[in-house]
Amino acid sequence: MACSRRPELEMVMLALHDLQRLFKDGLLADDEETLLAHVAGDGLDPQARLAIYRHHVLTTLTTTLESAFPVVCRLVDKRFFAYSADAFIRQHPPAGPCLVEYGALFPEFLERFPPCQGHPYLPDTARLEWAVHQAAHVAEVRPLDRARFDTIPLDDLPGLRFSMDPTLSYVSSRWPVEKIWRAHQEGAEPAEVLDLSAGGTCLEVRGVGDGVSVRVLDLAAYALRHALAVGVMLEEAAGKAVAVDPAFDLIGAIQQLLQDQIFTDFTLST
Amino acid sequence: MSANYGAGSRPDARAGIGLRAPHVGELLATRPAVPWLEVHPENYMMGGATLASLETARRDYPVSFHAVGLSLGSAGKIDRRHLERLKTLADRIEPCLVSEHLSWSTSGGAYLNHLLPLPYTDETLAVVASHIHEVQESLGQSILIENPSSYLRFRHSTVPEPEFLAELARQTGCRLLCDVNNIYVTGWNLGLDPSAYLDALPTGTVGEIHLAGHARNDADGQTILIDDHGSRVSPPVWTLYREALQRFGPVPTLIEWDTDIPELPVLLAEARTADGLLEAARARDGHARAA
Repeated sequence: MACSRRPELEMVMLALHDLQRLFKDGLLADDEETLLAHVAGDGLDPQARLAIYRHHVLTTLTTTLESAFPVVCRLVDKRFFAYSADAFIRQHPPAGPCLVEYGALFPEFLERFPPCQGHPYLPDTARLEWAVHQAAHVAEVRPLDRARFDTIPLDDLPGLRFSMDPTLSYVSSRWPVEKIWRAHQEGAEPAEVLDLSAGGTCLEVRGVGDGVSVRVLDLAAYALRHALAVGVMLEEAAGKAVAVDPAFDLIGAIQQLLQDQIFTDFTLST
Repeated sequence: MSANYGAGSRPDARAGIGLRAPHVGELLATRPAVPWLEVHPENYMMGGATLASLETARRDYPVSFHAVGLSLGSAGKIDRRHLERLKTLADRIEPCLVSEHLSWSTSGGAYLNHLLPLPYTDETLAVVASHIHEVQESLGQSILIENPSSYLRFRHSTVPEPEFLAELARQTGCRLLCDVNNIYVTGWNLGLDPSAYLDALPTGTVGEIHLAGHARNDADGQTILIDDHGSRVSPPVWTLYREALQRFGPVPTLIEWDTDIPELPVLLAEARTADGLLEAARARDGHARAA
């Protein structure tokens, strides 16, 4: 212990590394026998001591998921949500300490989670909530200067690729998830019975000032904007919109995009 | 060899509060007379409106960073991406203090969202000291290390926790964040004497004190104390705080409250109670110097 030089790590890594792997498995997989042999009882069963840590990890992360997915939580009730969250956390623990970023995989998990099969609209509702959560937390970026856009030669327009407002997400569903989402906001008036067969919806979710806007788009506008958001060239994105609606007004749609200040930058494909 | 880093502008030896989301609006609107604030930097790393509110608060209050995500005790490499995000935020806010915990949270790429216990061995000392060096080099300032609340200890621990902390401070030049509630909770849960723990900490290295409430839970018919930061500071912890001030002199002190968060005035009243005891400690210090 008297050593004052910078410690050498290579010789000694294994034991602590193994202990921490066993601890993680003990917390998340209840696979704790090997670990417990290393834990002092001090008058209490080591298993009960480890359970205190497990309880904290699972309950605090469940609270994190509840705050990102409040509508899903209301739709299935709090106990079922906690049951689903428990299974999710054990399979997909956070990758880092910024917990506002935790939960991106929850919608897909719900899709595969057998107890949720009776609620087929749940995964898409969760996708919408994640988009809203992202829009509320991701920092905005200054929009593209219109004057810069106007300098682009007309011939170059088809080959443009855009960077978009990072708070944006596009969500489409064969379920009326926007109606479901609005009807289950905190303090919302009890809705009339929602008709799940009323058809799907295409949504644009975006951070606006201190709030989040959730907008319904028609199919062609959705096709264009979604394609641009994933980095498709303008010409190809326009083709997707026209494929949906042969009468699509492309010029008007581009003017609307500029007016919405959705672009933050662009590049020219060569 | 311990490196020397600039101390930054340390807060006065008065009692601040941990700033939590439900209080931000009221704090910015009313600007209460609180000497300093402490935040978890992990809550501000996405930027956006949350960070903007912290920058506004920073104009009127010194802000300390109490990190929870560096996982200094994890075997293997520190998360460089997280450290860089911390550095970016520190450059922007210029915190008066930066602290972390003697614990680990990450294993095999999984962040377990808890300050998990370490075996106190030579190996762990080498790991934690190396990570503290790395963080201090990156931030360009010395950090404070906090004693955790523990619910178990490992059989192969060879060094008592306060001696382990003292050795870390000696090797790395870090200072200590003495969480008095954690000493009480750990003492109760592991059968240690909290006063003896305080006595084993080196006096010159304690740069901050934390106070918080804890809960009493039943585990297999036994009472276990849970460090939930969910109530007022308990009477025995106030007593232990007085002992800490006797030993360390007046030290910047922080009230933490994280679950069942009360109205802001309740938190401010707890800070005023601590301030009263700090005032008495300052007077004692003054008398001792005059004598």
